[in-house]
Amino acid sequence: MSFDAIVVGSGMSGGWAAKELAEKGLKTLVIERGRPLQHQADYTDFVQPWELQNYGMVSEAESHADYPVQSQCYAFTTATKHLWVKDSDHPYTTPPDKPFMWIRGYHLGGRSIMWARQSYRLSPMDFESNKKDGYGSDWPIRYEDMAPWYDHVERFAGISGAKDGLEQLPDGDEYLPPMELTGVEKEFKSKLEARWPTRRLITGRCAHLTEAKPHHQELGRGQCQYRSLCDRGCSYGAYFSSLSATLPAAERTGNLTVVTNAIAHSVIYDPKTGKASGVRVIDAVTKQGRVYEGKVIFLCASAIGTAQIMLNSKSEAFPNGIANRSDAVGRYLMDHLSGLGGWGRVPGHHDRYHRGRRPNGFYIPRYRNVTEPGDGYTRGFGFQGRGQRANWRRGMNSPGVGAEFKQSLRSPGDWELSISGFGEMLPRPENRVTLHKNKVDQWGIPVVHIDCGLGPNEQKMIEQIGTDARAILEAAGCEDVQVFKHYGGVGLGIHELGTAHMGRDPNTSVLNKYNQAHDVPNLFVTDGACMASGGCQNPSLSYMAMSARGAHYAASFLKEGKI
Amino acid sequence: MSPLDRRALLKSVLVLVGAAAVGAPDLAFAQGAAPRFLSAPRFALLDEVSALIIPKTDTPGAREAGVPNAIDSLLADWASAETQQRLVASLDALDAESRAKLGAPLPAAPAAGRLAFLRDYDAAAIARQDRGYMQLKQLVMMTYYLSEPGATEELRYEHVPGVWEPWIPAGPDTRAWAV
Repeated sequence: MSFDAIVVGSGMSGGWAAKELAEKGLKTLVIERGRPLQHQADYTDFVQPWELQNYGMVSEAESHADYPVQSQCYAFTTATKHLWVKDSDHPYTTPPDKPFMWIRGYHLGGRSIMWARQSYRLSPMDFESNKKDGYGSDWPIRYEDMAPWYDHVERFAGISGAKDGLEQLPDGDEYLPPMELTGVEKEFKSKLEARWPTRRLITGRCAHLTEAKPHHQELGRGQCQYRSLCDRGCSYGAYFSSLSATLPAAERTGNLTVVTNAIAHSVIYDPKTGKASGVRVIDAVTKQGRVYEGKVIFLCASAIGTAQIMLNSKSEAFPNGIANRSDAVGRYLMDHLSGLGGWGRVPGHHDRYHRGRRPNGFYIPRYRNVTEPGDGYTRGFGFQGRGQRANWRRGMNSPGVGAEFKQSLRSPGDWELSISGFGEMLPRPENRVTLHKNKVDQWGIPVVHIDCGLGPNEQKMIEQIGTDARAILEAAGCEDVQVFKHYGGVGLGIHELGTAHMGRDPNTSVLNKYNQAHDVPNLFVTDGACMASGGCQNPSLSYMAMSARGAHYAASFLKEGKI
Repeated sequence: MSPLDRRALLKSVLVLVGAAAVGAPDLAFAQGAAPRFLSAPRFALLDEVSALIIPKTDTPGAREAGVPNAIDSLLADWASAETQQRLVASLDALDAESRAKLGAPLPAAPAAGRLAFLRDYDAAAIARQDRGYMQLKQLVMMTYYLSEPGATEELRYEHVPGVWEPWIPAGPDTRAWAV
C-alpha cells in the first residue's frame, strides 16, 4: 500500500505530524506498534476509589515479574496498568551498573494519554546553550524559528497559564485562563520573590482546557472538571492527547489511515533515488512482515524507539543505520534529573481550605546560570511544586488508635509545601543507545542496549537542587523541612531525548534545521530524538511544535518537488 | 464462590476451630464474607484490631466499612509471599503480646482492656519502627478512608468536583477530602 506520508508512532509527536500532514492534503498513514485504544471507552476515569482493584495497588508479584521498570513510575496503578508496557514482553538491556528506567506505553496515542501535561516553551537561552558552553551540537535553529510553531500548537492544544514576562520562559501568545494558586502558594511566592527577586514563582502552564473554545468543542473536547484522574485518560477530553485532539483532527480530513499492532522494523532505503521508499513493519499479533510505501516518512516513535528503528535500517549505503553517516544516531541520549526536592510544613491558615483537585501546581523557572551563577556546573533546573493541606495520609506513620485517632484525622491537616527539581542533562556522545549484538525480541527485532549515566555536571546540579530546595523552603517559613536528594535514576524523568539530533554539520549531527535527515531528504524525525539539548522544561510542547514545523516543511518540499 | 457459599464455609470453619481458638468470638465479622487468606483466628484478630484502630462513632468504623475483608483480599490478591509473611507475623506478634498481657487472644479479652492494650502496643511498635505492624495499620487506614463509608461519610469525596476553589473558608467542623 502506498501513501503520501507515513508517520511512525501515534503519541505526542506522531499525532501532531499526522494532523498537520493530513490537513495539508497528504494521504497519511500512521503506524502504531501497540493495540488500538479508544477515547472514552477504554478509560477508567469513572471508577470510584473504593471500586479500584486492590485500591490501585498492582500485585507485588506481578509488578516484580512483569513490570519491574514500569512499576517505578508514579502513575502505575491498577487503573492505568493497561497503559504501560509489560517489561517482560518488551526487553532491553543496560550495563549492570547503569540502570536506565525506560517508561513506555504501547497503544494508540502512546504516552500522550499518561503524560503530566506541563507545557513550557524552550527559551532563546536554551537554543544557544550548546554553542555557548560547547556541549553537543549547536542548534541549527533559534527560538525565533520555533516561536510561531509554539503559538500554533498552543492554540490548538489549549494551554492554561499566565503571561509572566520571563526571558528564560517565553510566554505563549494565547493562553487559556490560569488555574489559581492557593493562598499558601501566593504567600510562598511573595516570600520567595522578596528574598530573591529573580527567583520567580508562576502558575504552572498545563495542557488543560480551563475554557473550551469553539475549536476545542468542535472536536468534542470539554472543560477540565478538576478531578486529577488524568493518567487514567479523560473522558471529557479536557487535557490534550492524541486521542482527544490531534488524531480526531487528522481523521476529519478524510486523509488519515491508522494501523495498530504494526511494529516498525526498519525504514527502507532506495539507493537509486537516494530516498527512503517505505517502512517495513512486523504485525504484533501474527508476526508477519509487510511493507508500506510512502513519499515522505516521519519517525515519531519516541527518542529511543526512533533510534532503534534507524539503527536497524541497514543497507549497503548505510551499514550503521539509515541517515547515520555521522554515527550520531543513538548518541547524546538525555533525560531530565528528577525525583529531587523538598517538603515543609506551613504554619497557620487553618481557616482556609481548597475544593477540587487541581491537576497542576506552581513553577519556579530556572534562575541558576540565568540571574544567579550555578555552583560549579553549566545549565540549570526549575522547581515544580504545590501548597495544599494534608489529609488522612498524614497519620499513616503516627501513633494513635480509637475514636480520638479517628477524630484527629477527620479535619484537614496542616498546609504543606513541596517542590520538585527538574534539571538539564548535558548532551554527551557516550550516553548512547545501540542495538544488542545477539538478543532479539519476540518479533525478531534486535533489542536496544541503553548505556546512559550522569556526569560531574549533573552530580553538582543534584547537590545544588537539594541545597536550594532547603534554603527556599526555610526562607518561606516552613517547619520540619525535609530534602530529598535521592535521585530516582535516569529514565524516570520520562523525558528521553537527543538520539537523532539536529545540527548544522552533517558530519556530526543527524538532522538539519527542518528536522530532515542530512543523508536522506525525505526522512524526517520530529520526536524527542531531534533535540540537540533538552533545557530543563518539560519537553512535550517542544515536540508538538517541532512536529508541526517539520510537517510544514516536508509538505512544502514535497509540493515543490524537492523531495 | 457465591456469598452464600462463603457464609456457609465460614460457619463450618467456626465450628471446626471451635470456641477454644477464638475464645468467645465476636461474630460481627461473620456478617462479611469468609476470609480467603487468613485463618479464622487471625481474621478474628484482624477484625478486632481494625475496629479498635478506627471504631464506629457517629460514622461507620473500619469493621462496618469492610476493612477486615478488604485486607484479607489484599493479602490474597496483592501481597507478595514476603509481604504475606510479614503481615501474618505482625498479627501473630500482636496475638502473643495480648495473650501475655491480657491472658487471652485480643478478641476474647475483656472489652474494657482491649483499647488500652492496643494503644500501648501501637505506640511501642511505631516507636521501634516495626515494619510489619506499621504496614498493617497503614492498610487499615487506606482500606477505611478509601472505602465508600470512609470516604463519603467520615470524610468527603467528590468524584467530579467540576471546580477548583483554592482558598475557601474552613472551620473546626470542616471535613478533610479523602482524596
